[in-house]
Amino acid sequence: MKLNFKTREAMVGYLFAAPIIITILIFTIYPVFAGLYYSFTNYQPTEAQKFNMTFVPEESVSFHLGVFPDEEGLVKNELLSLFDPVTFLTLDMGVKLNAEQKEAVSSFLDTDKIVEDFLAGRLNSSVSVKDFMKEYMSSKSELFTRYVPEFVGLKNFREMFKDQYFWISLKNAFVYSIVVVPIQTLLAILLAVAANMKIMGQRFFKTVFFLPSISSSAAISMIFWLIYSKPGVLNRFLSTFGFQAVDWLNEPNTALGAIMVMNIWTTAGYFMITFLAALQSIPSSIYEASQLDGAKFWKTFWKITVPLLRPQMLFVSIMGIIGCLQVFDQIYFLIKNMRNITISYYIYKNAFEYHRMGYASAIAMVLFLIIFAITALQRKLIKEESYF
Amino acid sequence: MIIAYVVLILYAVVSLFPFLWSAIVSLTPMRYTENGVTTGTDIMKWPPEINLFKWPPEFFGAPATGENYVQVFKITPYARWILNTIIYAALVTIGHLIFDALGGYAFARLRFPLRDLWFALFLATLMIPGHVTLIPNYNLMVRFGFVNTYYGLFLPKLTGVFGIFLMRQFFMGIPREMEEAARIDGASIIKTYFKVVLPISKPAISALAIYIFVGTWNDFLWPLLMTSRKEMFTLTVGLDFYRTSYYTYWQYMMAASIMMTIPMIIIFLIFQRQFIDTGVSSGVKG
Repeated sequence: MKLNFKTREAMVGYLFAAPIIITILIFTIYPVFAGLYYSFTNYQPTEAQKFNMTFVPEESVSFHLGVFPDEEGLVKNELLSLFDPVTFLTLDMGVKLNAEQKEAVSSFLDTDKIVEDFLAGRLNSSVSVKDFMKEYMSSKSELFTRYVPEFVGLKNFREMFKDQYFWISLKNAFVYSIVVVPIQTLLAILLAVAANMKIMGQRFFKTVFFLPSISSSAAISMIFWLIYSKPGVLNRFLSTFGFQAVDWLNEPNTALGAIMVMNIWTTAGYFMITFLAALQSIPSSIYEASQLDGAKFWKTFWKITVPLLRPQMLFVSIMGIIGCLQVFDQIYFLIKNMRNITISYYIYKNAFEYHRMGYASAIAMVLFLIIFAITALQRKLIKEESYF
Repeated sequence: MIIAYVVLILYAVVSLFPFLWSAIVSLTPMRYTENGVTTGTDIMKWPPEINLFKWPPEFFGAPATGENYVQVFKITPYARWILNTIIYAALVTIGHLIFDALGGYAFARLRFPLRDLWFALFLATLMIPGHVTLIPNYNLMVRFGFVNTYYGLFLPKLTGVFGIFLMRQFFMGIPREMEEAARIDGASIIKTYFKVVLPISKPAISALAIYIFVGTWNDFLWPLLMTSRKEMFTLTVGLDFYRTSYYTYWQYMMAASIMMTIPMIIIFLIFQRQFIDTGVSSGVKG
């Protein structure tokens, strides 16, 4: 059978595109919806583990009934009348239950069988909660095999608006972007303009300025931890000008600023390359004309260079804002003070340190909305740009 | 002109100083013996008593030594961390090389149903911040049992929208004539791709490879989540090992930092051109 070219092209097309399509579906699209779902629940990963916990049923039953299985004179019916399923699970097995599970336990836990096996000494080997419930629930045992987080509606979002750390971390992320982005952009342009003059060693300067941006944020954070430490080299250097030593990273008023400076240092050289490439494509006749007029450097800079670099500036600042709003690594390594955290770090902290993934997902959704709005704005601005 | 030199040289010093300072600290011995008395070296000493006109040079009044670089391998499984990082970065890079090029070609040249819809979807995913997908992805890996394995590290990262865009852009820029000629000669699409398209794509593919390798080498957040046993740490995650709440082993930490940075600097120096091409020019167009 010979397929026509169009069909073959479509098949090969899907074959080639399959890896990226599958990856995006599994690791981006599914997570967005899962995250949206989590954000309306009280998802707690520690709770998800509870059904895999193992325990020895005999011990729990002993605790519950206050008797040992090998005691003499035990009467099954007497023990049965003492058996309270909900207390047994919550206190003696140590499993937290929601309302639905409590109801299922009180109606379907086969206490008769448990007591019988207890007396026969069949409960003395350790077993997971999941398997135990499968064995001894006459119905609805599926409630205990998979952890289903409780749906809490907008509770996470309501909590967020009252949570001071949410507001602090959000504010810090914004302050961070608003300070870092203009300074790094301007610094990058200045460096690019300087490097674009007919100077020796342009290649050397390009290489040196680029170095910080290829080093890992982890290593850079550690290096700056050394430099910023109280007895460290920065304070020593400043003390020669008569400044007092400051514990830059532990002082709530300076910590975020110190990290901003570090971030500017890391990225200014990288963005300089963008601007340098753009500058080199600007015909030098424009500059020559302005020099003949005797225009001063700054005037040329503000009137000619900056306007010509507008598209690159727009690109760099939008990318910069999106990146800065999500700053994480540096905060993780260097900030020990809850007053100086940023939003992505607060998401991490909630999800992986407080084990409140539902709440963390809700915050992540808010971050998503913010970034979405900024990107939409970017699209609009760049579209306008192309009309010029 | 002079101002330009002053600005550039000043900023070059600012750029290099943190690296130089950490290199100096990394070469300072933890303790040294002088006249039979052993003392700990104070790397916060001021002035730092640097003497380069001696062999070995002196930093903080102590003779320089490579000992810290050896110690790092002894007190932490640093060799294993290097291996983990290489495996992680290499697998991710290989994945991108294969899948980004394939996908990029499909979206640049081949017509298949729903192509534009998929592409629009990919564009949209660029707006999603990493922290939104982080938690579900982590749970997915927990459910698969991939935490503390290489699968957990590299599987979600084997291909990505950025690389697809880059390769698509590149393929759209090459003339169609060669592919058409090959097809007229009776070559299948797959054969055309491997025999005609790939060989002329080396510059774009190598630029992508370098970009991805460096990015993965320096990646921190995902390895932090995926590894809890120290045998599985990558270099970035392991770096936190040299400090406790009470004490920081500055020399070891700086030695470890320098060692993980040097390979990137070497790669950068060799492939400067590709670096400066990918990161920037492609982004401006996108």
